[in-house]
Amino acid sequence: MPAADGDGNLSIGPPKDPVHNDTMRSPLRHRSLRRLVTAGLLVACGVQAGAAHAWSLTIAAASRRVFLHVGNGSPEADNGTVNLVSATLTGAQLIAGTPLPMVSNSTQSASLLDGFTTCPTPASQVIIGASYRRSSATNGPASATLRVTSPANLTSAAGDTIPFSQISWTVSAPGSGAPNVIPAGTFNGATQTLATIPANTYIENCHSFTYANSAVRAAGTYTGQVTYTLTSP
Amino acid sequence: MPMHRFVTTAVLSLCALTAQADTQRLDDSRSHTVPPTAQMEWTPQTRADRDGAMEAWVRVNVHIDTRDWVGRSGRIYMVLPRDGASGIEAEWTARGPLRSGRLVAGERSLVFAGAVRGAEITDQLLVHLRSGPDWPSNSRRLNFHFEIDPDPVLLTP
Repeated sequence: MPAADGDGNLSIGPPKDPVHNDTMRSPLRHRSLRRLVTAGLLVACGVQAGAAHAWSLTIAAASRRVFLHVGNGSPEADNGTVNLVSATLTGAQLIAGTPLPMVSNSTQSASLLDGFTTCPTPASQVIIGASYRRSSATNGPASATLRVTSPANLTSAAGDTIPFSQISWTVSAPGSGAPNVIPAGTFNGATQTLATIPANTYIENCHSFTYANSAVRAAGTYTGQVTYTLTSP
Repeated sequence: MPMHRFVTTAVLSLCALTAQADTQRLDDSRSHTVPPTAQMEWTPQTRADRDGAMEAWVRVNVHIDTRDWVGRSGRIYMVLPRDGASGIEAEWTARGPLRSGRLVAGERSLVFAGAVRGAEITDQLLVHLRSGPDWPSNSRRLNFHFEIDPDPVLLTP
């Protein structure tokens, strides 16, 4: 606000609204002089207005991405490990026909999301985690789908078979409010949908496998491989 | 002091002050980014930030035209206007004379304070851009600019 002091000096601070300076104290009483001041201010303001340029940048959103983690895995990276789940039966167990828990050679107990111990006993568990990320509603579908595909049978070197449906799994996730985010199930010798994963979501839990042992089989080692897939068409 | 002299002095002084006390946009049209465009990448998801975020790094060679402000002092800010899309954050380190800092869209951040000594301020900024995964489209344009708040002037005619 401008203010004239007794000596005639003019000390000036930053005016808030210089054009409409109603509180200005000065000898300027005459209307024409006020108009002159106003005109001068307007001219000055007009002179200051000018074109200016700036730096700008076009950025592209991150590409849509799915990440799937089964057993031993690596954060944000590929890992080619294929873990083995197995059950070795004695003759008595075979004849008894009771279901048997299977063991795992997985050593992955920690979540790849944050290191939390999601699978405290990996020797009998397989951790499965999946995430789907997109940058916008126009950047792909709203969800991704987790599926597992199993062959019809486990097979032995002798050509004997055991239906894959003899293997089922339960799920757990200590400390999670949704331990069955990927539900329990039984392989069906085909492709089955396990879960739908909303965009920008990470899900995971532990799978513990059981051999049904519902029939006596020929001696031998039976093998088969299941494949988990995460897709966002 | 005669009336006409006083009025003249007041008008000129007020004009000068008015013009220079308000925020003025600066010309930095010679600034450019390396690379000229950027591709955001995903940051790792965490339990605390399950949505995750996207990030990119760009280098900006800054050239601010300060010819009109040589000998004056003030504060220069970098500004990132809100673009109607989701929030974006820029954090940068400067080599100098500009200051390192951080701002989010819709804000401004102080990058220089003091006397302007030359016709141009140059610097190189390493800018880290970060945004959530909620863009309205697959690309966006960020229009940064610089502006100055000149210090008030004390005139004694």
